[in-house]
Amino acid sequence: MKQIVAGLAFMLLPSAGVASPESYTFDPRHTFVHFGVDHNDFSTIWGRFDRSSGKFTIDRQAKTGTLEVVVETASVSTGDGVRGDRPRSRDEHLRSPDFFNSAEFPRMLYKASTVKFNGEVPVELQGQLTLLGVSRPVTLAVDRWKCAPHAVTKRMICGGNATGALKRSEYGMKWGIPATGDDVKILVTFEAIKD
Amino acid sequence: MMRRIIIGAMIAAIPFAAPAQVENYTLDPIHSFVNFGIDHLGFTTIYGRFNKSTGKGTLDVAGKKASLDVTIEAASVDTGDNDKGSRARSRDEHLRAADFFNVAEFPRIAFKSTNVHFSGDAPSEIEGSLTMLGITKPLTLKVDRWKCGAHPFNKRAMCGGNASGSLKRTDFGMKFGVPNIGDEVRLMINFETYKD
Amino acid sequence: MQDWLIHPVVQGALLPFLAGLVASALLAPLRLAGLAAVAGFATAVYLVVGFEFSPMTTIRKVMLLGLIAPVLGVAADFAFKPKRAMAPLVAVASGALSVWVFLAVLTQKELADALLIGGGIAAYVAWQVGFTLSLHEDSVRAGAAGLALGMGTGVAAVFAASATLGLYAMALGSASGAFLLVQMLTGRRILAGIAFTLTTGLLAGLLGATTYHLAQLPWYVLAVMAPVPLLARLPIPAKWPVWGQAVALSGATLTVSAVACYLVWLSSRGISE
Repeated sequence: MKQIVAGLAFMLLPSAGVASPESYTFDPRHTFVHFGVDHNDFSTIWGRFDRSSGKFTIDRQAKTGTLEVVVETASVSTGDGVRGDRPRSRDEHLRSPDFFNSAEFPRMLYKASTVKFNGEVPVELQGQLTLLGVSRPVTLAVDRWKCAPHAVTKRMICGGNATGALKRSEYGMKWGIPATGDDVKILVTFEAIKD
Repeated sequence: MMRRIIIGAMIAAIPFAAPAQVENYTLDPIHSFVNFGIDHLGFTTIYGRFNKSTGKGTLDVAGKKASLDVTIEAASVDTGDNDKGSRARSRDEHLRAADFFNVAEFPRIAFKSTNVHFSGDAPSEIEGSLTMLGITKPLTLKVDRWKCGAHPFNKRAMCGGNASGSLKRTDFGMKFGVPNIGDEVRLMINFETYKD
Repeated sequence: MQDWLIHPVVQGALLPFLAGLVASALLAPLRLAGLAAVAGFATAVYLVVGFEFSPMTTIRKVMLLGLIAPVLGVAADFAFKPKRAMAPLVAVASGALSVWVFLAVLTQKELADALLIGGGIAAYVAWQVGFTLSLHEDSVRAGAAGLALGMGTGVAAVFAASATLGLYAMALGSASGAFLLVQMLTGRRILAGIAFTLTTGLLAGLLGATTYHLAQLPWYVLAVMAPVPLLARLPIPAKWPVWGQAVALSGATLTVSAVACYLVWLSSRGISE
């Protein structure tokens, strides 16, 4: 009898040594991939991708996690999307074969399977970015992380910021280097809702 | 006769004797943007930008003086959510509405500098005032990056760089959503200007 | 030097022109002057992105075919006497190859769209290859066709949002111009052969099709470029000096290209949002 009671009590203890992976889906209206590129060595031009989608799983006990994000390359937006009198706007140029070639590669994919933790907080993501058909390792540092119920909807949200960098030439995107920089700074701002 | 020539030459040389060389610059609208970041519910920062701004500046490197005059089209606010889909409105539409920028009544946001500090030949800090929603308040921008030179392709003289600053939107009467949608607004500006 | 080498005019016109000039002048005695076309094209590719074939994207397939065509062309020029029936066969084969080139993008579309677009592209490439090939024995006509096909496709591509494709095509045109110039200066014809005409016809067709499919070139601009190799066959008095023939034929072919570029320019001045 004592064993049964002990067993029941053990089962009732919240996450007592039992793995509890949680699954979250990114909120597309509060999740954006931003990037910064040097322009002619005069200023940094910032841009972002307006449309992306993805999910991640996290297991704070086992200190593991996975992430998968798909970014629509045609949704690139740098504030110059209306061509006016010119042959093309900057955003149209970015969608052309000179840069993202969105007609041939409509999506960019980032998959991370290694997550480094500091306690229960993820601090680093190691994964692969597939852009223009080329896959290369990209590490993102999680600079900001918070999980809490949404103040209005009460649903469980995990949100934060992550940063990284890459060289676009490594993916075959060579047009304009060095006038338009090779080094790309990445900033991801995200909010994800627990499934 | 000789005296007249000498006096004439001296009079002609007067404009060249003045040391102040004020250069005029115009903002390149497709390479100049005001980006801003606001905290969202303590979870993440939502970034946005104004796609359309115009401006002019003056620069006197020898005299260590400069000025800046920028006008931002408030309706050009763009945070990446402009398609309402099945919702009543998109975030960008909400930002244009009376809750935030009220662009129908206040189509423009203006920044006018009052004093520019230099560090060597480069401006380091721009003190000025920002007029938004009919209210004018002081705003100081730090110049993080500055370079003057020739454009690598068209060879025109230009100055460009990055600047940053912050403000509290409630100072301008924009109170909707505080504190869920942050009061503190971070500004990240990238600019390129061509010499007139 | 670095700054100079990254300038688009240097990459797309100046250095390819020089490459074409050197190839035409030095290889003419070996009857290999037709390699001027690939010399210009390869120079631009090397300067703009370098030679890389992995992953095999659409543009890299075009690049690969552009490098293989002159090799096949030289073999054809030297190994056997081409029969007139061969041009249509090679044209059809080129059309089929173009479907391979665009497979990655075509398979992303609905079947009906893929068939329509794929068919249109295959027809355009086959047309350009077939009619340009038929000029292989007249080096001045071939040069005039290459010049206009290259420059027309190139300038149109720059207007249509892809500077990379524009530079590749302009390099082809610049090298063709150099090929013509050598003949105008020496007053003597040099062999164009299939090495020149297959390369120019295939690359002009594929680059035009790529700009249509991946950038924003309107389809009707390709239709307007179709008459270029036909105009290169304008009857010209044989007793005219070489430079006179070159100028007259180029004038005719370049006029068609100018119309095509004007149309792209018009279409790009679209309605603002």
